[in-house]
Amino acid sequence: MSNIKIKSKNLNVYYGDKQALFDVNLDLNEKEVTALIGPSGCGKSTFIRCINRMNDVIDICKVTGNIEMDGMNINDKDLDVVSLRERVGMVFQKPNPFPKSIYDNISYGPKIHGKGETKSELDQIVENSLKKSALWEEVKDRLDEPGTSLSGGQQQRLCIARAISVNPEVILMDEPCSALDPIATAKIEELIDELKKTYTIVIVTHSMAQAVRVSQKTGFFHLGKLIEVGKTEKIFKNPDNKMTQDYITGRFG
Amino acid sequence: MNIVLIFLITIFSVSLFFYGKSKTKTISIKDNIKLNALPKFYGYYLVLWCSIPALVFLLVWSLFEPVIIKSIIIETAANQGAIFSDKNEANLIYEKIKAIHLGTYFGDIDSILRESALAYSKFINLFTNSKVVLIFAIIIASVIYSLKKIKNNNKARDDVEVILKGLLFVSSLIAILTTLGIIFSLLFESIKFFSVINVFDYLFGTNWSPQRAFVRDASSITAAEFEELKDAFGFIPLIAGTSFIAFIAMLVAVPIGLFSGIYMAEYASIKVRRISKPIIEILAGIPTVVYGFFAALTVGPFFRQVGENLGLTVSSESALAAGLIMGIMIIPYVSSLSDDVINSVPQSLRDGSYAVGATKSETIKQVVIPAALPGIIGSVLLAVSRAIGETMIVVMAAGLAANLTINPLESTTTITTQIVMILVGDQEFDSPKTQSAFALGLTLFIATLILNYIAQRAVKKYREKYD
Repeated sequence: MSNIKIKSKNLNVYYGDKQALFDVNLDLNEKEVTALIGPSGCGKSTFIRCINRMNDVIDICKVTGNIEMDGMNINDKDLDVVSLRERVGMVFQKPNPFPKSIYDNISYGPKIHGKGETKSELDQIVENSLKKSALWEEVKDRLDEPGTSLSGGQQQRLCIARAISVNPEVILMDEPCSALDPIATAKIEELIDELKKTYTIVIVTHSMAQAVRVSQKTGFFHLGKLIEVGKTEKIFKNPDNKMTQDYITGRFG
Repeated sequence: MNIVLIFLITIFSVSLFFYGKSKTKTISIKDNIKLNALPKFYGYYLVLWCSIPALVFLLVWSLFEPVIIKSIIIETAANQGAIFSDKNEANLIYEKIKAIHLGTYFGDIDSILRESALAYSKFINLFTNSKVVLIFAIIIASVIYSLKKIKNNNKARDDVEVILKGLLFVSSLIAILTTLGIIFSLLFESIKFFSVINVFDYLFGTNWSPQRAFVRDASSITAAEFEELKDAFGFIPLIAGTSFIAFIAMLVAVPIGLFSGIYMAEYASIKVRRISKPIIEILAGIPTVVYGFFAALTVGPFFRQVGENLGLTVSSESALAAGLIMGIMIIPYVSSLSDDVINSVPQSLRDGSYAVGATKSETIKQVVIPAALPGIIGSVLLAVSRAIGETMIVVMAAGLAANLTINPLESTTTITTQIVMILVGDQEFDSPKTQSAFALGLTLFIATLILNYIAQRAVKKYREKYD
């Protein structure tokens, strides 16, 4: 049994008057891939955005309840969001490289956190991040080209490299393959398999097949509630809840 | 008379609309025909046929009537025995005849003039009557024609579309032709100017004093006069003054405008934004003449006072005062355009930056501004071309003397100010002094055209990147 990295207890999220999450209790294991599935608008993305406090960006969003990482309360008002996000990286639905060179895209995070003081240290970080995201071979000769000149799949791997660059402990992925073709998706999934040796990964996905392929643990959300969570194998073969059964067999969603 | 005619044509057309509409309805019911178009299209069809030919005829007639009458009358007067040696005298006699007809002539009226005036009245009446008759004939003919077409159940919708397309085309044609007309008038007058003054003397001369150009006739300039003129039209002091004042204005407008744009786009809450954005945009709505007298009467003297206290000599009309006020005038252009481009930077880029732990100001400085840069540059360039073309503030606050200086406390002048100075009051249109205004206008036009082109290219390139 692996260690619990992140633990949420009675987590509620409100967007203005609308409640988006209801009493979510979910534990994420260290160095494991947890997949979150469920129909659109069910709160999967809202949940992972609680882990790195991205919901702060939205003015009307209010979070109550408890969410802890290694015993530290993430939801604490006094918590330094900058250092939290250094520990919890995020990859978005649509590849969003900055309009900068490939090199600057990766070195952006380390520079902000004061890592890599010399040029050679920074070069090393960039190279390592790109190697870990399996992009190094493709871009090593054109690091000064704009990140936006890469293909969609490469851009997404660049964004993964960007998230890795600050050496986080957790990587959140919000439907990272939904804008990609099957070949690029396969590459990203392969990469996730590799990354889970080092990082704790949470992936939101609409593809049941992807959840089966990449995750060890799966949580099913519906209308803001966590309906069922368990080992991926069990959820897909033999779920306890009728609703989960209906969703994974494609009866709704 | 023309107004009455236009009014009548309008009334006819409107009533024909309702007539056509109801008529076609009854036809379709009575004969049980499926119409090709909705009844209202037949109404429009009648309106267009009734009004357009008549209005076009009226326009053409009004253009040619005076010309034709004039030539007839001058000929009549000559037959009566009037003597005139050139065109100007003929024109004078014609004006006299017209004045007699209108009862506003108070000189002596001899028999020649009286006879001609009678002839003039006769022709005016004849022309007016025939105009009215012809217009009614045209209306009747076109209405009969269009009614006949309607009876045959024509495709009124298609025809109306074609006519409307034509009308829209003519409108844009007028806009384009007007622009071309302005450009050509600038061009031709400038060519006249450059036939007297060498282009290089103009472009690279360092002395601007057009008041020296007291030459009566440009076609017969003596060598001495030419030497005098040669260095009176140096463009350098004007472009220097213009750029200098525009530069001061941009020093004010770019930081303030850009920062307020960033604040509006990134920090201000929706409520603050809703209130403060229109307030900033009010700055753009203040007439420039108001800025001008504010600069000339409040800011200029204030600077001079402060300068005196500091022991500096400050001219009461200074480049600084004009540039400062111009900068304030331009702030809304920079702020609202850069607000727009910053707003259109996708949220996903900001999210990406926040997600690696960047703060808001780091995100703005390192991700948002670089992403919006082409658009921001575009907005600044548009503001520059606005600053270069601005007239009223500099006329009132910057002075008129063409000093070649880089001291912002001295008075200086700009291209637009000089154009105003040259063309205010009575002018001889064949003097190089007057024509130099056109050359200045042309130069200014080319400069702002280039700036606008670059600015629009920059903005467009930026749009393509994110759309």
